[in-house]
Amino acid sequence: MSRKREEISEYTIEKPIVADESVLEEKYTLGAAKRVGLTAPEFRRAAFVQVDYSQVLTAMKKVLEKYKVIVLNTREALRKYPWVKKYYWKALSPGQDEYTSSVEKYGGDGYFIYVPPKTKVPFPILTCLLITRNNLGQLLHNIIIVDEGSELHLMTGCAVSHLVDRALHIGVSEFYVARNAKLTFTMIHAWGSGVDVKPRTGVIVEEGGRYTSYYVIYSPVKHLQTFPRIYLSREAKAYSVTITVGSGKSIYDVGSKIVLRDENAVGEIISRNLAEENSQIIARANITATAPNTKGHIECLGLLLSDNAVIRAVPELESHIHEAELTHEASIGKIAEEELIYLMSKGFTEDEAKSMIIRGFLSVDAPDLPIHVKREIDKVLDLILREAKG
Amino acid sequence: MTLLEIKDLKVRVDNRIVINGVNLRVGNVGEVHVLMGPNAAGKTSLLATIMGLPKYNVMHGNIYFDGKDITKMPLYERAKMGIALAFQFPPVIKGVKLKDFVKVMLERYHCSHASLLAKILDIDRLMDRYLFLGFSGGERKRTELYLSLIQRPKLLMLDEPDSGVDIDSITKIANAIELYVENVPSSILLVTHSGHILSKMRHIDYVHIMDSGRIVYTGSPDEILPLVFKLGYKKTLSMLTDKKVKE
Repeated sequence: MSRKREEISEYTIEKPIVADESVLEEKYTLGAAKRVGLTAPEFRRAAFVQVDYSQVLTAMKKVLEKYKVIVLNTREALRKYPWVKKYYWKALSPGQDEYTSSVEKYGGDGYFIYVPPKTKVPFPILTCLLITRNNLGQLLHNIIIVDEGSELHLMTGCAVSHLVDRALHIGVSEFYVARNAKLTFTMIHAWGSGVDVKPRTGVIVEEGGRYTSYYVIYSPVKHLQTFPRIYLSREAKAYSVTITVGSGKSIYDVGSKIVLRDENAVGEIISRNLAEENSQIIARANITATAPNTKGHIECLGLLLSDNAVIRAVPELESHIHEAELTHEASIGKIAEEELIYLMSKGFTEDEAKSMIIRGFLSVDAPDLPIHVKREIDKVLDLILREAKG
Repeated sequence: MTLLEIKDLKVRVDNRIVINGVNLRVGNVGEVHVLMGPNAAGKTSLLATIMGLPKYNVMHGNIYFDGKDITKMPLYERAKMGIALAFQFPPVIKGVKLKDFVKVMLERYHCSHASLLAKILDIDRLMDRYLFLGFSGGERKRTELYLSLIQRPKLLMLDEPDSGVDIDSITKIANAIELYVENVPSSILLVTHSGHILSKMRHIDYVHIMDSGRIVYTGSPDEILPLVFKLGYKKTLSMLTDKKVKE
């Protein structure tokens, strides 16, 4: 415990400031945004950007005001709207571990998004969290509330610029999906081999709510450890996808937990894990049922592309009740020779055939993702393949 | 003109000889050659060797295609030269939708008959499915033929396109082959066990009977097929060989 606290204090931690949009135009900032698949015009359309400790609320904030959607930094939201306090540190506890407590201790700030009842935001809201300076410790606290009967597609890109050799990112995120509301959350991470990453996420989905998460990490990292916990009420559904493409000497400890805590809740955890070079992936998944007539399924697949890489799949099912149906499937293998030969017989080189197989392996049809989000995901998968080919 | 010429071919898979001295010539003027024979005669192995599948090791002899020695050429180069193999059991390609694969194939091969072939083979409704995942026998065969045809091959090799499929699918497969051969200068090398597809095809030039890794008899369909379907391979071969000796 104390060793890690010392580590956090070794990084430069600053008080966030609100900056103007010129921050977005800096070369290394744009370079970092590009790593999560964003072109400069797309990046400028992000509703909230934090570069190191400079927070930018863009013109998109004004567009969203038409829908009465509130986008602020968390600190300002807590000051301006006292009711936000009832959501603050409720989906997870600051005492959960040393990382959550450090976010509380240093007053981590991030983005706050509130979608009022019966509001369907017709386009994805984009947020971006970037690090462009060495030895920076970026501590964030994000709160996202989708109120009753509303819909939101949130896309977040987190990256470092190529110049960053060493950094720390701790992002606490609290998601609240109210009754019959729907939230799809896509997050893409592009870090570097000297970056420690500890996202901490809690999700509360109320009766009849839907939460779909699609998380991709495709870059090297020093050590990534994340295990979002998703709590489902009656007839709520959650679908959590994690795509991990491991490279270098990186360690990825990834996965999620779904708690089916009320009747007719349904949860599914899907992961695709691709390990190259000397990377290690620990793919965790836990579905816990504490209420009757609940269903949960885990699918955890690994593809090992190097003899020096390791994938460890840890699917866990935990039932406290008779009437819960929990299943899982897990497998780890290499590229199937017969698939490779088949594709080569159709005129593709070995590299092209491998790319096609990898692309197929990483593809997951997540429900509830609108077509434009699917297109973004396709873009990211193409980006992964381009990066993989150097 | 000769499209494919095989000279004294001997092939090994692991430690087993699967082709043991095959000679074959296929012309480039729309010739249709049928390979028949008992199980383990070497029919599939011959197609696999012509395609260049890795585990088929040529120990002796040569394969010429379009005037070029392709014996040591990698399989994807052979495909680019115009050789296509419709596999008997194509594998499931996980996560790849048929429509996405077709798109990539068409970008590469620019087949102008693709839409018509898809219609004839009735595969439009399969486009949103993952390649071969959960396909029925007929769906698999029709899709695999479609993917082979949109390669616009000069030599189309079909490994049992009529096994495990219903009569409607066989008709669709035969119609697509006919359409292709009529419109694209190409020749066909077809392996069949049941012979079901042969009755649906308008013309066949040669029937070769294989046994123990060799082509043991070549003749016209009229000469061979009625005997094979009536007597089976063993008696047919014995009868044809006797006839030849007497002549």
